[in-house]
Amino acid sequence: MKKDLHHPPPEKNPRIWRSLRELEGDPEFHKHLQREFPRGAELFQDSGLSKRDFIKLMGASIALAGVGLSGCRRPESYLVPFTKGVEYTIPGKFLYYATAMPARYGAVPLIATTSDGRPTKLEGNPLHPFTNGGTDSFAQAETLNLYDPHRSKQITEKGKPADPAAFDAFVQSIAASDGQGLAILAEPKSSPTRDRLRASLQAKYPGLLWAEYDPLAAVPAATAAAASFGPGIRLIPDFKKADIVLAIDSDFLNPIETGIGYAQGFAARRNPEQKGAPMNRLYAVENHYTVTGGMADHRLRCKASEIGEFTRQLATAIAGITKDSNLAAVADAYPKSESSIDPVWVNECAADLAANPGRSIVVTGPLTPAPVQALANAINSALGNIGATLAPVKADTPAAASISDLAAAIGKGEVKTLFILGANPAYNAPADLGFAKLLEKVPDTVHLGFFEDETAKLSRWHVPAAHFLEAWGDVRTCDGTYTSVQPMILPLWNGASELEILNKLAGAPAPQGPSLIRETFDQIAPKPTDEAWNAFLRDGFLPGSAYATAKVSFNTAATAELAKTASAAKPGALELVFLQSSSVDDGRYANNSWLLETPDFVTKLTWDNAVLLSPATAKKLGVKANNFDILGDIAEKLGNDVNYDLVADIVEISDGKNTIEAAALVAPGHADDSLSIALGYGRKNVSALMDGVGFDAYPLRTTAAMRVLPGVSLKVTGRDYPMAQTQEHRSMEGRDLVREGTIERFEKEPDFAQKMGMDSHIPPNISLYTHPELTSKEQWGMTVDLNTCTGCNACVVACQAENNVPVVGKEQVRKNRDMAWIRLDRYFAGDANDPEMLSQAIMCQHCENAPCETVCPVNATVHSEDGLNLMAYNRCIGTRYCANNCPWKVRRFNYFDYNQRPLDELYWGPLAKKGMADSLKMSKNPNVTVRMRGVMEKCTFCIQRIEEAKISRLVEAGPTPASETPIAPFKVACQQACPNDSLVFGDVADLKSQVSRLRKDPRAYTMFKYLNVAPRVSYLTRIRNPNPKMPGADQVGMANGSGHHGDSHAAPHDAQPPAGPAHAAPAAH
Amino acid sequence: MANFFPKWTNWIPLKLVICLGALATAIVGGITYYFTPKYTRVGYEPNQPVPFSHVIHVQQLGMDCRYCHSFVEVASHSNVPTTQTCMSCHTQIKADSPKLAAVRESWKTGQPVNWVRIHQVPDYTYFNHAVHVNRGVSCYSCHGAVNEMKVVYQHEPQSMSWCLDCHRAPENHLRPPEEIYNMAWKPPQGETQREIGLKFKEEWEVNPPVTCGGCHR
Repeated sequence: MKKDLHHPPPEKNPRIWRSLRELEGDPEFHKHLQREFPRGAELFQDSGLSKRDFIKLMGASIALAGVGLSGCRRPESYLVPFTKGVEYTIPGKFLYYATAMPARYGAVPLIATTSDGRPTKLEGNPLHPFTNGGTDSFAQAETLNLYDPHRSKQITEKGKPADPAAFDAFVQSIAASDGQGLAILAEPKSSPTRDRLRASLQAKYPGLLWAEYDPLAAVPAATAAAASFGPGIRLIPDFKKADIVLAIDSDFLNPIETGIGYAQGFAARRNPEQKGAPMNRLYAVENHYTVTGGMADHRLRCKASEIGEFTRQLATAIAGITKDSNLAAVADAYPKSESSIDPVWVNECAADLAANPGRSIVVTGPLTPAPVQALANAINSALGNIGATLAPVKADTPAAASISDLAAAIGKGEVKTLFILGANPAYNAPADLGFAKLLEKVPDTVHLGFFEDETAKLSRWHVPAAHFLEAWGDVRTCDGTYTSVQPMILPLWNGASELEILNKLAGAPAPQGPSLIRETFDQIAPKPTDEAWNAFLRDGFLPGSAYATAKVSFNTAATAELAKTASAAKPGALELVFLQSSSVDDGRYANNSWLLETPDFVTKLTWDNAVLLSPATAKKLGVKANNFDILGDIAEKLGNDVNYDLVADIVEISDGKNTIEAAALVAPGHADDSLSIALGYGRKNVSALMDGVGFDAYPLRTTAAMRVLPGVSLKVTGRDYPMAQTQEHRSMEGRDLVREGTIERFEKEPDFAQKMGMDSHIPPNISLYTHPELTSKEQWGMTVDLNTCTGCNACVVACQAENNVPVVGKEQVRKNRDMAWIRLDRYFAGDANDPEMLSQAIMCQHCENAPCETVCPVNATVHSEDGLNLMAYNRCIGTRYCANNCPWKVRRFNYFDYNQRPLDELYWGPLAKKGMADSLKMSKNPNVTVRMRGVMEKCTFCIQRIEEAKISRLVEAGPTPASETPIAPFKVACQQACPNDSLVFGDVADLKSQVSRLRKDPRAYTMFKYLNVAPRVSYLTRIRNPNPKMPGADQVGMANGSGHHGDSHAAPHDAQPPAGPAHAAPAAH
Repeated sequence: MANFFPKWTNWIPLKLVICLGALATAIVGGITYYFTPKYTRVGYEPNQPVPFSHVIHVQQLGMDCRYCHSFVEVASHSNVPTTQTCMSCHTQIKADSPKLAAVRESWKTGQPVNWVRIHQVPDYTYFNHAVHVNRGVSCYSCHGAVNEMKVVYQHEPQSMSWCLDCHRAPENHLRPPEEIYNMAWKPPQGETQREIGLKFKEEWEVNPPVTCGGCHR
């Protein structure tokens, strides 16, 4: 029991846990936790071939290889200069350009880093007025999409490679005709140039049918806003002005749902110390755990089909308080239904909202049914939020036909030629339309897309699409700011952009460079001079081009009419809710291995989706909660105690007509009698990477049930499915790692977090080792604000893109071999059915007394003078001692040559194909070593950026004293990507730096203080702001229990701790 | 009991130790000399596609290094000149020389000239030219007297220990900033390199990194 001598035992703290197995105190689980690398991690194959056996086998071949000594001479390599110098290009120096990623909610404005002409990294554009510089995980993964070797590379006709000239001739034949029977199916996008081209096409072909479809488009929100405030009206929330926020079925803090710019305002009001602006309060009502639910002060589990009933009750309660007759009218119009919603919850929430008129926001999700959104509009209107916290603007996006209209037209035989621009309706259109069948009815179909996907296979023509980094474009962000989409590279595989196709269809000559965009710019810009155009491209946006605030009045009759159309929920029936996937969106990122391997925010599931259901429902339906038995048996047969990871039940879900199969995953905090599944998985015959990953839920999704399908049945099949979850990896055994409290506690004792658990009783610990002196003037450090970090994954993918972090594949993730340098630990606290959720970003803590350094036998990991824990890959011999000794479990080992070998041939040894696709080589950051097999790696605090900044300072200083030139400010990759500025990096020796100020904040604490490792990463405690009148308010912010100082105790804090077990359980004394 | 082993066998262990020791010394010595950059790299003098002579361009014509290696002061790479740079003179001078056929060909076709790389640090090492030339280290320190090379060859081993020799004692190489590109510079009469170097080291606060992170990322 050596361990116990060194670590104080965990707090007697029943509330916090990370997995159901941990909560249940499964002894197998604790055995699993004892090992940094579960024993299986050392096996080379599941067959039990150990490393020792392998070395024996390999001995002979190594001896044979040695005889030839073929590698003695250095291979000849070449220096290849340009023939003609390229403007601005300096070999080896980065260039930065403004561009933007179009998205269904608008756009993510970006700065692209190009290295010798290759875009290698995308970062948020800090100048942009709406987003101020954050990104989301999808934007970060776009560079991999660009270089994806599976992208389609040529025009095909009926599946066979075709001559581009033949396609041109086909388009020209349409352009020369009257366009009878021409239809276009595009994705909703706010591109003024596309709108302009569309208008000219419609003028040319009056019979043109323009339809738009995106499986996750916010159509219900637009419908409700049109009914309540008039057509084209969009409400732009300003969370900075809101004291109370109620999120109904909405994940607004998640940038992949709402875009960048929403969460920032919320985060700005989340600081408990800020003067003049009280900390906001967030209520969330949802059926499954979202990151918004995790941030909420009060969260109500509610079936998605009862969300309407909840909103109706809330509206009635608010109408009762405010005596608003319009709201009462809308609430009365909404059909009543039975439900099990706690009336106290509704009434207290209503009272809190009503007490803050004009300073609250009720926000709904993009897919929430329109009648519910109508109710939300009525509530916001009654509370006086319209014009105060919600700015109504009139968007200029023209209306389009829906995919149902298009399907009807095809059904009637009216469509002769269909252009599908970017969408993939054969896969993701509502199942009741039978779109794949309909496509066969259209004589000429053209599909523009990234992959030869389901729709491409059914189309006559397939044209490779240009990535947004390959073609000129423009877009409006959510607020209407006109934003440029600049290409960074010529199309890698001759892709065409949507705008080029539309332009061709209009019979216009091919555009020269940005001529199409310039034409639109000249119409939009107040002074369309060359200077203004250049500024537009340089800054990435046109200043002052946001939509003007519109004057709107609430239309009670139309809203009530819409509310009336809601269908009443049947209590007790099982429902299926369709979710946006955190990894593949609606399926469009299905080939992006970075995203597939990034764990889901809440379930921590990688490489799969699953049906989520609550522990109670799982019990009721006979779904085994996290079934580990099978693998345990296999492990026993292999003669070891390996217990890799999760095996889930495969279940069948049926709506009576269609049936899907999916693995079931028990999800704490999920609403009972409700099932959720992420869309976009379960592809077949598209590409080697995405095929067979996860389960397809689209067959159950119909036009009437885009968000929630009521009345489904579930059957357990008895078959199992292995899943790769990172949830239980590298657990830290609940030693108050993540800390939280309430605002009340914070006000009483601001530094309560620093004294949690053992931290106030730690005797000064003395290191046995000598550590290098920190002599440099700059000392790097970081802070993570748990109060604003939502756990949105943007930093995780940003780190992967910046640091060439490899992807390891599902089988390897199951063996705890995932490589992410920064991970988001997700903790649950409280009851398994209705817990609180917290997340915490963990990266290398760059301990000043780093335990990893003292155990490395070859000095491969050492400390620098500026406080960095360095990793010299070329010295590492792969003992993995450092990872064993790391208290944070942030070190990652390259078990295989993940960069050079295909993931399905990892075990083939030298027989596996070697080498990386050429296009993927282009995606690597040239300033970071691509690691090989057998070396350890971990977060470096983006040392390449630090060194670049230091070198730039010295270059600037030249022959003058170095200390007289300051280091120019820079951001590390995760910090830059964070949409909420939760991560702050900087010089902790500079007392004026932001990071130094935050480190001295009373909320700041470091983990494992009693180990005296002096981490350079500090965490700012999460503070919750519960409403004391709400049910369960006493449980909010209590993940760590009432804490060590809830009770009085005799020993003062500076006293030595009493010896023996009396102190071992501090919560008891 | 009879003696199984004759008396001379008593010396076997000692002889064995001496022989093995000698063998080990020979192997270690051999590898140290023949398998290290000092032997394998220094003197590497490959044939280039164009017989470019630094003697003519630098020594005789007095061209500055930066005319061709134009970005050495700003970038980590010291670039090799573009074909355009060559042709800016050679459209006028020696426009028909057969030695320049490859350059003219490149200019005509747009295909670059593939110069054979001589100085190469491993992929995990990040060397930065700009910081060295801006802080008093001459081209000469790492590349030798290129101005005297008809065909360029590697003059220094450029191994890690060689790098560290200077990073630990930069005073042996620091020069006045105006003499960085003067390949023939010698310390003025009465002054030694060390004295000059120490003066600059103190004045400019030259403190080269010796931790891994300085070069390995």
